[in-house]
Amino acid sequence: MQDLTQLLLNGLSTGAVYALFALGYTLVFSVLGVINFAHGAVFTLGAYFTYFLIGGAAGANGLLAGLQLPFALPFWLALPLAGLGAAAVALLIERTAFAPLRQRNADPLLALITSLGAGVVLVNLIQLLVGAESYAIPTGALAGLPAAVRIGGAQVRSVQLLLLLVAAVLLTLLTLWIDGTRSGKGLRAVSEDPTTARLLGIPSDRMIQIAFGLSGFLAGIAGGLVGLSVSIAGPYFGIGYGLKGLGVLVLGGLGSVPGAVLGGLIIGLAEACVPADLSGYRDVVAYGFLFVVLLVRPQGLLGRVLPSKV
Amino acid sequence: MQPQRLALAALALLAAGGVVSSCSRQRGDQLRLGAGIALTGNAGLLGQDARTGLDLAQGHYADRAPGLELQLEDTGSDEAGATVAFRRLINAKPVAILGPSLSQQGFAVMPMADRAGIPVIGVSTTAEGIPQIGPFVARVASPVTVVAPLSLAKAVQLHPGIQRVAVFFAQDDAFCTSETQIFQRAIRAKGLELVAVQRTSVSDTDFHIPITNVLRSRPQLVVISALVSDGGNLVRQLRELGYSGPIVAGNGLNTPNIYPVCQRHCDGLMITQAYNPKLDNASNRTLLAGFRRGRAADAVPPQVTAQAFTAYQVVHEALATLKGSLPQGTTLTSLPLPELRQRLLKTLLAGTYQTPLGQLRFTPEGDVLQRDFSVARVQMNPDGRSGRFVQLP
Repeated sequence: MQDLTQLLLNGLSTGAVYALFALGYTLVFSVLGVINFAHGAVFTLGAYFTYFLIGGAAGANGLLAGLQLPFALPFWLALPLAGLGAAAVALLIERTAFAPLRQRNADPLLALITSLGAGVVLVNLIQLLVGAESYAIPTGALAGLPAAVRIGGAQVRSVQLLLLLVAAVLLTLLTLWIDGTRSGKGLRAVSEDPTTARLLGIPSDRMIQIAFGLSGFLAGIAGGLVGLSVSIAGPYFGIGYGLKGLGVLVLGGLGSVPGAVLGGLIIGLAEACVPADLSGYRDVVAYGFLFVVLLVRPQGLLGRVLPSKV
Repeated sequence: MQPQRLALAALALLAAGGVVSSCSRQRGDQLRLGAGIALTGNAGLLGQDARTGLDLAQGHYADRAPGLELQLEDTGSDEAGATVAFRRLINAKPVAILGPSLSQQGFAVMPMADRAGIPVIGVSTTAEGIPQIGPFVARVASPVTVVAPLSLAKAVQLHPGIQRVAVFFAQDDAFCTSETQIFQRAIRAKGLELVAVQRTSVSDTDFHIPITNVLRSRPQLVVISALVSDGGNLVRQLRELGYSGPIVAGNGLNTPNIYPVCQRHCDGLMITQAYNPKLDNASNRTLLAGFRRGRAADAVPPQVTAQAFTAYQVVHEALATLKGSLPQGTTLTSLPLPELRQRLLKTLLAGTYQTPLGQLRFTPEGDVLQRDFSVARVQMNPDGRSGRFVQLP
């Protein structure tokens, strides 16, 4: 029983990060039909923003060596602000890497490449400014919380529980917004058919910007939380999560919000089930599972088969 | 002129500049020394330590003959990046190359330098099999076979009740897999029980699954072979999940760059040191003085910084010895480059050097023979962000 609880907690907390990450991909994919490859870089930026907002100083190897903001915010305030900062960067990416191509009706594949380019530029910019060194959000940022707690005999770090909680809250809010508000429904309409949505008076461009902003916000929050949990291992640390997020996106079904959540949790649990002596092969299990699911159900678990238009 | 033509002209100029730069002859009596180290990626921290050592050595030897022009290339932290960097270095016609940072990269690129007949001196490549890559391959980093068992022996000496040992290692890094084999052999040789062996990846950041697996086996000692970022995170998460016993770490964590990663949880980590900052010789005094310029008066260079300084020093001293052995009127640059490289290698392997790592010699195969080692324990300051390696008696 204790082992099962441990396995579930391990799987859910890992899966929550993947789900949060994949949701960002999903939001953009649902309105544009392309994957935003700069999402990993925005996630990374969210972590750096959080670090600097809580009073962290830049290391010795970048142009901003030694730089420190004149104030230090508590973590609970720094995190949403970092999310907003990441949202602003995501909007900038939309304006520079996606909008110009969209206005010229360019092939969606080109937007994929420009987003990849934007991501590479961002990561290198981070390295130029603050160096390649690791940054760690101080372990005392969650003042008052113990390092780990015991639940049903299983040991789990407090930061993982926080991650799970924040992910659950954000996912719930997002679902409520999409299903219960006018702008959320507008987003769904644009994701169904942008042309028809425009004819119905829904501002498609605005909806796309909202999708990017939300996606950036989620990435920023996820980056800040993961940064707190495992430190920021340099400008490239979003890449691994980005790849896993892509896997989750495809497993859940491209463009499906519940699919992203389900995919994240399944991959997280699949990784947690890997036996101890094979733990280095967790990714093989996760991607192998993805491979098998796609062979049986190419549209993903909750994805739809789109009718081909003649 | 049309803007497009202007842009083309500018591109052509830039390209021409690049060609001229890469084909430029070595100036006067100066020889080019290549260095390929990881300045970016997950081994970037290790590379930056090495860069500091190279910069200090370059500054120290700048006005001493023979003149060396250092060409530094970033290898990134993977084999592909190292291959590109080494190809550029080989094309630049250096007298020797220092690096790369990782053994994993070394197995990929040292054969390239060896085939080109260029002496390549490993700075921090400690895996088994590196000097055996080829006759032009040598290293100043002591092999893991010598270094790894020392910290384990010290941990057992300090905690005599230890019986149950768990091992973590990054399975996708040649050095870590090599090092863990040595650790595991040493654990068995001491009659200890290996209760868990967990494979991780150098790109992993979240270790709660392997850690909770390991903690179920109630280890009394944990031995880690990993690199800075992944290893530092592993240490931190081990402590946060309740492991309070001793931790022995391998050479991949042997740098102050772990402090910001595992923070206060780095405290107590035991690591074998190939560099002892208290060593009293001229070379170490030079290194310490240079390193402390602009830093705290008691700042201590990381081991890799000392190793990079040493690599530069042995090449410089070997070249100086070779120069002294040439007939009157013959300069190093007047020798055909292939001959110069061969003679440099021969001289380098035959020499004895007083370096920041202590007295060094080389085996005919190119492996370093070092006498002085110690085991240090990481002692973190109360701020949890800075600390020091304290040598254990």
